[in-house]
Amino acid sequence: MPEETNSSVNPSAAPSWPVHEDTTAKWFLISSIAYFFIVGIIAVVIAAKFVWPSLLGTVQYLTYGRLRPLHVNGMLFGWLLAADMGLTYFMVPRLCGVKLWSEKLGVATAALWNVIVLGAVVSLLMGWNQGLEYAELPLALDVLVVVAWIMFGANIFLTIASRKYDQMYVSIWYIMGTILWTAFVYLTGNFAVLFATGVNQANLNWMYVHNAVGLIFTPVGLAIAYYFIPKSSNTPLYSHKLSMIGFWALAFVYVWTGAHHMIHGPISQWLQTIAIAFSLMLLIPVWAVVYNFFATMKGQWYQLKDNIALKFLMSGVVFYLLTCFQGPMHSLRSVNAIVSKTDWIPGHAHMAVLGAFSFFAIAGTYWMIPRVFKTSLFSEGLANWSFWFMMIGGLGFFVTLRLGGFWQGWQWNNVAIPFIDTVVALKPVWIVRFFSGILMFLGIVSFSYNIMATILGAKDRPAVAA
Amino acid sequence: MLRKADSNFGFAVVAALIFFFIGGTLTTVVPPLVDKSWGKAFENNDPAKGPTGKLQPYTELELKGRAVYVREGCWYCHTQQTRTLLSDTKRSGWKGVDSPISTPDEFVYDNPHMFGTKRTGPDLSRVGGKYDTQWHRTHFRNPRDLVPGSIMPPFPWIVENQEEFTALVAYMQTLGRAKNWRPDNDYEK
Repeated sequence: MPEETNSSVNPSAAPSWPVHEDTTAKWFLISSIAYFFIVGIIAVVIAAKFVWPSLLGTVQYLTYGRLRPLHVNGMLFGWLLAADMGLTYFMVPRLCGVKLWSEKLGVATAALWNVIVLGAVVSLLMGWNQGLEYAELPLALDVLVVVAWIMFGANIFLTIASRKYDQMYVSIWYIMGTILWTAFVYLTGNFAVLFATGVNQANLNWMYVHNAVGLIFTPVGLAIAYYFIPKSSNTPLYSHKLSMIGFWALAFVYVWTGAHHMIHGPISQWLQTIAIAFSLMLLIPVWAVVYNFFATMKGQWYQLKDNIALKFLMSGVVFYLLTCFQGPMHSLRSVNAIVSKTDWIPGHAHMAVLGAFSFFAIAGTYWMIPRVFKTSLFSEGLANWSFWFMMIGGLGFFVTLRLGGFWQGWQWNNVAIPFIDTVVALKPVWIVRFFSGILMFLGIVSFSYNIMATILGAKDRPAVAA
Repeated sequence: MLRKADSNFGFAVVAALIFFFIGGTLTTVVPPLVDKSWGKAFENNDPAKGPTGKLQPYTELELKGRAVYVREGCWYCHTQQTRTLLSDTKRSGWKGVDSPISTPDEFVYDNPHMFGTKRTGPDLSRVGGKYDTQWHRTHFRNPRDLVPGSIMPPFPWIVENQEEFTALVAYMQTLGRAKNWRPDNDYEK
C-alpha cells in the first residue's frame, strides 16, 4: 500500500495533504445514482413483460425492443460507468497525494456525460438504434462519448503524471489500463465496426461487447476493489506480486476471447478454438485477484458484520469469482451447446454487472459520499437493508435464470419438443425473475434514498474519519 | 521486468498497450485476411458440394424492411444463425427437411449483422418462404392469435403502416434463402 492509505491510521500526517475538492466526483456519483434508480424502473418493466407480454405493448416507444437497449445502456453507461468514473476522480488524487489536475474540466466532463445519457434515452426510445449490441447509440452520441473519454483520460493522466509518490498503487495501473483500453475497445465497437459487414462486423462487435465488460468494467471495478477493500477494512493488501500477475495477465488475455460469443455459429472454427483457449486462461488473472482479496481478509472477516462497504465488496468478490468461473466453462463447446442463447446468459451477465461490479461501485459510494460531504451515513440500518434486498433479489435472479436457462437449452436440444413449449415452460422462471427484480429494485431504492438523505442532511451529523 | 511499470508512468502505458494490441490485432484484423469466406458472397452451382444457390444483395425494399427489423429490436429475441448443432438444423428445417448450417458467406451483405445473442423467440435464419404475408399480418397484429403461449409483443403500428409492413415481410422472406435447401416445400409453390 502507498503511504497515503496507511496514513488513515495516522491522522497526524493530515496537514501536509492537499485539500481535495471532489466536486467532479460528487457530480458523477449523484447523477449515476439517479440513473440507477430510473433505469431500475425500466428493468422491472421489462422483467414484467416476460410474464405479461402485452403490457404497454401497444405503445410503440415502450416495447421490449426499445426498453431493453435502454436498460442495458442506461445501466452500463448511465449508472455503472459514471459511478466508476466518479470513484476514479475520488481515488486517483488520494493515491497520488495531489489535487485533481482540473476540477473545472472534471465538472464539464460530468455535464457532458449527462448530455450523452439523456440523448441516449431519447434516441433509444425513438428507435434510433444502430443495431449493434452495446453500440446501439447513434454516431453523434458516440462522438460525444469519445470527447468525454478524452476529457476524463486527460484529467486522470495529468493527475497521475504530477503524483507525489513515485510508486503507483495497483488501482492506478488498473485505471490507466481502463482509460487506454476503453479508448481502443470503444473505437472498434462503435466506429471500426461501421466499415465491416456480416461475420467480420460481428467479430468486431463481439470483441467490443466482451471487452466492454472485460477491459472497461473489470479493470475499473478491480481498481475500486483494490482501493476500498484495504481502505475500508484498514488492512494492508496481501500481495503486491499477485496483483501484478492479475493485472498483466488480464491485459494480455482478455482481448482474445470475443469469438466465444459465436461458438457453433457461422465463424471460423479455429477462431472459436482460440477464443475458448483464452477464455480458459482468464481463470489465471481472476484467481490471482480473488486470492489476493481473500488473503487480505484473513483474520478480518468479522469486520463484515458492521461494515457496509466491506459487505458489498466481499460479496462482489465472490460473485466475481463465480461469474468468471462460469464464463470460461460455458465457452467450452459441450457446455455452450446447452446454455448458449438461453436465459442462462442474462443470469451470467447480471452476476457480473450487478453482482460484482455494481456491488463494488455501491461499496465505494457508501464509503465516499459521507467523506466528501464531511458527514456520516444517514442510516446504517437502511444500508444493511439495501444489501440484503440486492443480495436476495440478485441470488433469486441468478439462480433461477441459470437453472431455467440450462433447462431451456436441454429442451431445445430435444427436437421432439416444439419451440413454443420451451417458451411456455419458462413462465415460472420469469415470474421468479420478476419478483427477484422487485427485490433488487427495493435495494436500489433504499441505497439511493440513503445516499440522498446523507447528502441533504449532511450538516446535521458529525463527519466520519477520513 | 514488469516491476518497472510500478513507478514508471510511460513504461506502464506502453506495456499495457502492447499486451492489448497483440491479441487485439490477431483476433480482429487477421482473421478476415485468413478466412476469405467472411467477405465473399455465397455461390455454388455444384450439388456435390452442398446446397446450390447464390446470395443476392438486398433490394431497396428489403433494406427498408431490414431497418424496421433493426429499429424494433427484433434481434434482441431472435437469432439469425443455424449453428453446427443437430437441433438447430432440425428446428430451422421445414416439413421434414433439415436446414443447412449457416456459413459466413451467407451474411456478407448484412449491415448491421443480426446474428443475435439471445433466443427468446425462435431462430429466424431460415424463416424466409415459410409463412405467407397474411400469416405475418395476423402474427404481427397479435402473435398470440396464431401461437398461443407466445410472449412476443404485438406490433399493430407496423401492420397499419402498409409501406413498412410490406418492406418488413419482403426482408423476412429473404432470410436463409441463398441456399436452395427446400425448393419443393415453399408456400409460394
